[in-house]
Amino acid sequence: MSRNLTSCAVAFAAVAALGLSACSTKAADDSTGGGSGSGGSGSAGVKTDIGVTASEITLAALTDTSGVFKVLGLGITQGNQMWADDVNKTGGICGRKIKITTHDTGYSAEKAVPLYSKLKADNLGMIQLIGSPTLAALKKPLTDDKIAAIPASWASTNLDVPNVVMIGPTYDIESINGLSRLQSQGKIKDGDTIGHIYVDSEYGKNGALGTKYYASKHKMKVVEATVTSTESDLTAAVTKLKAGGVKAFLLTTTPAQTASAVGVATAQGLNVPIHGSGPTFTPQLLDTPVAAALMSGRYTTDAPQLPVQSDNPKVKEISAAFKKAHPGQVETYGPILGYASGLVWGSILKQACSDGDLTRAGVLAAVRKTTVDTQGLTPPLDFTKPGQPSSRSMFLMVPAKVPGGLKLVQTEPYVSPDAQTYKTPFQK
Amino acid sequence: MSDTSPPAPATDAVLEPEPSEPVGAVQVRPARSRRTTAVKVVLAAVAAVVVFLAPAYIDAEYLTVANWVMVGAVGGMGLTMLVGQAGQLSLAHSFFALVGGVSYAVLAGPRDEASYTGLGLPSLLAAVLAVLCAGLVGAAFAPISGRLRGIYLGVASLSLVFVGFWLARELPSLAGSTSSGRYAPSLNLFGFDFGELHPELHVLNVPMGKVERSFWLYAALTALAYVLGRGALSGRVGRGWRALRDNEAVATVMGVSVVRQKALAFAVSSAYAGLAGVMVVWWYDGLMKPDESVDFGTYSTTAAISYLAICVIGGLGSLGGAVLGSVVVFGLPQIIQLVTSSDDYSGTGFTPGVITNFVFGSLIVLIILFEPRGLAGLGARLRAVLRR
Repeated sequence: MSRNLTSCAVAFAAVAALGLSACSTKAADDSTGGGSGSGGSGSAGVKTDIGVTASEITLAALTDTSGVFKVLGLGITQGNQMWADDVNKTGGICGRKIKITTHDTGYSAEKAVPLYSKLKADNLGMIQLIGSPTLAALKKPLTDDKIAAIPASWASTNLDVPNVVMIGPTYDIESINGLSRLQSQGKIKDGDTIGHIYVDSEYGKNGALGTKYYASKHKMKVVEATVTSTESDLTAAVTKLKAGGVKAFLLTTTPAQTASAVGVATAQGLNVPIHGSGPTFTPQLLDTPVAAALMSGRYTTDAPQLPVQSDNPKVKEISAAFKKAHPGQVETYGPILGYASGLVWGSILKQACSDGDLTRAGVLAAVRKTTVDTQGLTPPLDFTKPGQPSSRSMFLMVPAKVPGGLKLVQTEPYVSPDAQTYKTPFQK
Repeated sequence: MSDTSPPAPATDAVLEPEPSEPVGAVQVRPARSRRTTAVKVVLAAVAAVVVFLAPAYIDAEYLTVANWVMVGAVGGMGLTMLVGQAGQLSLAHSFFALVGGVSYAVLAGPRDEASYTGLGLPSLLAAVLAVLCAGLVGAAFAPISGRLRGIYLGVASLSLVFVGFWLARELPSLAGSTSSGRYAPSLNLFGFDFGELHPELHVLNVPMGKVERSFWLYAALTALAYVLGRGALSGRVGRGWRALRDNEAVATVMGVSVVRQKALAFAVSSAYAGLAGVMVVWWYDGLMKPDESVDFGTYSTTAAISYLAICVIGGLGSLGGAVLGSVVVFGLPQIIQLVTSSDDYSGTGFTPGVITNFVFGSLIVLIILFEPRGLAGLGARLRAVLRR
């Protein structure tokens, strides 16, 4: 045994000696993420550091193709890629082609951290970042490494740094707009009692923030019921709202919980208007017993981007391309959001290019100068205001038996005066 | 030993046991020759050199995975002592990790933050106290652990995970909000900071960043946990635990206080989990964030089962096995995500992430079927082959 150990030791010592004499291959790369900013000039005399070569700009999609949001993650990624293909057909941006690298986190923060370590070495920024656990785990590293990312979560509490490039209204704005529309239709009035069922998470708490603001402005009383994201039976929450005598209620929950809440409310005879935040709806809900209640007009929802069923030429173009590339796959709003994310990055990169600085710091500076016209896919976006959402307008929709499961209530995006005067947590 | 026999827990010594040796037998060891000791010293020195140089060669993402594996190894060692040596089934390991993490965040967190309670203690002291806190909470579980056995104890301890989930949501000023968490400082060891970049340090012209520094720290902590565990298992404490595991009545007759030993086993195991919890906070760059759901996340029921899987795959009761088990349970899913690129837009269900789960599940089944003593048993077989 000890002979074996000795031979082991000799082998190890040899390895160690080799290690000492050799020169590390890692010496060239910079794992601290700070970026030495070698200032290598590109073809157009533009400053670059990480993820940009003379011919290519690399962006990462940190998505979920194996976890709970795999359908959406895949759709957004396909949209990202469609945008990149379109840009590359027309000669690229800043004389460079766009390349997108995809990484699957499975919606888990502990898988996201090593993937982030990997992608930060050769990607300029992130065109997609799915999941609030993932965003929470990566927010500090993103800030430290000066990387800009487009998250697929919309809490206004994450707008404290320019690294978080959020498309469209935040959850609190959604609630304010939703309530404001109900009031404009005469469904609720000042002094009424309203309800809000929400998941006790970043998503739900942020939605509730908007409700509280609106209620305080209109002397309304709010009956709140919190649930955990895995609760499947919302009877207790709905009963609480019914006992409180609510005239309408909001949902900031998971789609499965939407089905439960709408079903229980119908069963209990609580036939009041319901407004659900964007993530409360998926087309699959129209295959459940609550489909009739959802399509009765009592339930409305909203989104920062147009639904699949829309007359917008760009949406039609994306939809046709999607059907051609992925026949047999269910259509979601994912590709539309993914394409819009691409257009946002396109505008930021063009701005950075005209500033002559495609470094990460240059991109962050460019974010604060960027306004985007997404060809109608979303309302016009404005990233120049620190701490504020890029838009306070949203598309109002109701469930319907159409591709994507939603149809517009009105073609124009909706915004209320209350939402425009509301001060988000990090608004300067 | 045939392949169909139930898994036999490993004995006290991790390197030594002959597979045929009766479990829990009092060993009379020959005095170690000087040569063996010398070889061990040389090996330890070589290992230290390898650990010191590794960050200069290994890419940051693989170092990150290695650090995560070491978190699992420290936690797994604690649980394998409790389950494999003292014979107490626990499904609360992730809860004690949560206690450790939250304690560290509270003790080391800055005092002047409006929304979070912090005591502003030096990070080293805070880490030590956090480990003690977790150990004490584990000892406080004694009234329950002393009365229950086997699966009943397992289910009772599982309730702690739910208690932890509820408490973390009720006390965001301590645990951080479930959405964005709270931040605790990195370890600062006599001026050398493991999270910041000062003082600057280069090894072979490679700048040593956060991940590289953490790798050294975690390797040192894992070695420390291993040495302390070996010490406990090869001494009086370990004998007491094994007596408890094999027959409580006989253990009592032989003068082992059953209740006290159970409490001690839970305290030591929880302290290990607490250390793993502190390492988790450092791994996330100082972020302490409770889970959004009770069965998915870092401190969830899933995590509790993962720790148990580490012990089973590694071999119940084997400290070295816990390290190997962690490579499989904590390391494999991350490594597979890193080496497979998912440039696949076809919408197939078989993404690398899904395949990971299949590989992972079948591996557990295969190990249980063909080597019930886990990876530690494989190691013993390998050594036996080498010795011939």
